[in-house]
Amino acid sequence: MKSTVRILKHFIGATMFISAFLVFFNFLLLGLMVFKGMNEGQSPSAVVENVAENLQFSSNRYSLDSSAATLLKQQRAWAMLIDDAGQVKWDYMLPNELPKNYTLTDIAKFTKNYLMDYPVFVWEHDQGLLVVGYPRESIAKYEYTLSVNWVSLLPSSIVALILINIGLALFLSLVIGYKLVHSIRPLTQGIQFLSEDKETFIQPKGILADLAQSVNRASTLLQKKNKSLKSRDEARSNWIAGISHDIRTPLSMVLGYASDLEESFYISEEQRRQAGIIRQQGEKLRSLVNDLNLVSMLEYEMQPLNKKPMRLSVLVRQIATEFLNNGLDDRFIIEIDISDERVQVNGDERLLSRAITNLIQNSINHNPDGCLIKLQTTTNAKNNSCSFILVDNGKGISQNELPNLLELPYSTKRKHPSQNGHGLGLPMVDRIAKAHQGVLLLSSDIEKGFRAEIVLPYIYMN
Amino acid sequence: MDNIKNKKLLIVDDEEDIRNMLDGFLRKEGFNRIYHADNCAEAIKMCHLVKPDIAILDVMLPDGDGFSLLSSLRQISNLPALYLSARGEDEDRLLGLGLGADDYIVKPFLPRELLLRLTAILRRVYSPPQQEQPPVFHLGTRIIDLGSGTVQSDDKLLPLTAKELKLLFKLYVNRNRIVTSDALCQAAWGDDYYGFENTLMVHVRRIREKIEVIPSSPQYLQTIRGLGYKLLVEEEFR
Repeated sequence: MKSTVRILKHFIGATMFISAFLVFFNFLLLGLMVFKGMNEGQSPSAVVENVAENLQFSSNRYSLDSSAATLLKQQRAWAMLIDDAGQVKWDYMLPNELPKNYTLTDIAKFTKNYLMDYPVFVWEHDQGLLVVGYPRESIAKYEYTLSVNWVSLLPSSIVALILINIGLALFLSLVIGYKLVHSIRPLTQGIQFLSEDKETFIQPKGILADLAQSVNRASTLLQKKNKSLKSRDEARSNWIAGISHDIRTPLSMVLGYASDLEESFYISEEQRRQAGIIRQQGEKLRSLVNDLNLVSMLEYEMQPLNKKPMRLSVLVRQIATEFLNNGLDDRFIIEIDISDERVQVNGDERLLSRAITNLIQNSINHNPDGCLIKLQTTTNAKNNSCSFILVDNGKGISQNELPNLLELPYSTKRKHPSQNGHGLGLPMVDRIAKAHQGVLLLSSDIEKGFRAEIVLPYIYMN
Repeated sequence: MDNIKNKKLLIVDDEEDIRNMLDGFLRKEGFNRIYHADNCAEAIKMCHLVKPDIAILDVMLPDGDGFSLLSSLRQISNLPALYLSARGEDEDRLLGLGLGADDYIVKPFLPRELLLRLTAILRRVYSPPQQEQPPVFHLGTRIIDLGSGTVQSDDKLLPLTAKELKLLFKLYVNRNRIVTSDALCQAAWGDDYYGFENTLMVHVRRIREKIEVIPSSPQYLQTIRGLGYKLLVEEEFR
């Protein structure tokens, strides 16, 4: 919808610009033409003035300066001088059919119009009236009479004219633009749907029919690809879920009988110890299978999330307390630093607590000599996010190993197999963060400790 | 205790090995009336026939699922049930418990865990409800009676307020373990820690004034910085 409004705006803008430009251009051209037409050669009034000035009267004789004579010749014009009595006193190239004397009425008539179809122009001379005539049908004479009222209203009329023009152009461009947008709206909507990965179908009609068909084709193609991708992911995840299910029953037997033997008094202590090892390894296998299943469900976005708003600080305290209550070794010290009690996230409590537990367990596993584990929560109002941060002062890990830690074990992207544990812990944290529209950030270096930050979108408690 | 061991147990699982293993463990623990069924139909038949006191059910059975089986069993008798399933997804767990199962254990399991949960259910369902004695315990020379809500010191009897009692009870139930401030606030005010920080601190101080010899340097009710509190109680042999 936004794009159609934008298209309409642009279209109207362009139309208005074009109309304004056309009007301006036309006025300019017209002005130029009129200006040029009025000044083609010598203007008649200039010629007649020139002739009047150069016609000298001395010792009862008229003499025309040669420059004026050439001018007249160039214009193929004739000239005469009429005295106050209406008699032609002097002439130059006067056509024969013209009379030699004129009444006042004649003079008034030809001054305004034509003298026997000759366009004539007059100028005042000491000895009377100088008349210059041009060849027939060479010059058109016009006369304007404008009322003073009209002239005084001219500026406002021009403004009104311009306004009417603008209004008309706006209206026309709106109508045409609306029609255009109307015809492309289904297309823009379809393309918008495509970008949002939704199914779309546009009725192919009008001038954009083939475009609509292309969009439809793209949509079906995308849907088909999505479907096959999803079914493949589902197949993979189901395969892992199936395997972990099938491992559980035999593992029950292993665990069951091993732990039974561990408590049996009929076998030697050494054998009981061995049974204990079988039980421990069985339990390890159990947690591996469970974790593998969870990570695969998260990886293929098939893990259902039981989201509800909860306070991060409560979760952190609860997990830290669990570690302490379950006999955390004295070599490890857990410190809590909560910056804002009100920070809430909308999340799956079991998964988030799993993520935080994994991070703490990770620090414990990799620092057998003990370390200080700091747990912090912070907020970042700029992007409405909050973070759970774990910092330890343990032995850390080389910087270039960091990206490797988030890859799933056994995948081609993971260069080195994990050295401690099954290597699913951190990838799981990463997947859990992603499932909550968050991200896991790691930073560390050898002997510089390890820092992990889970950034999550937060909701503020009211 | 002995009459719990005399209860009739019905194990429904299509894996004979699992049934035999369970049978072995339970017999060793003293249960001797154990019946087997390897599908739904037989389970219903057995239910009519022997009227078991508790059922251990698998979810995936050859002729149906354990969830519908429980519904059918419940129409015959109101027996308690415990799921023992290889399906560990949350939905399955919630579905099973939602149907009224008393517990849900995911395979693989430790026999001891199963045994503890099983006897817990049996005791809850079949033992006559005992009057739970509100605990009375010693902190040094003082005697705290959570039943009457008093602290008996050498020379005087100090009463505890309702909130102090609730807090002390929560701490005593989790004695020698850290209890988060959140859990304490939940216990006393039914609400989160947020907004109750100061109130909680005031109440803890008042409790210390009653139970500690030197309230400013507490010996029994310790603060665990950033997390909560811990009540140190020496286990008494009774």
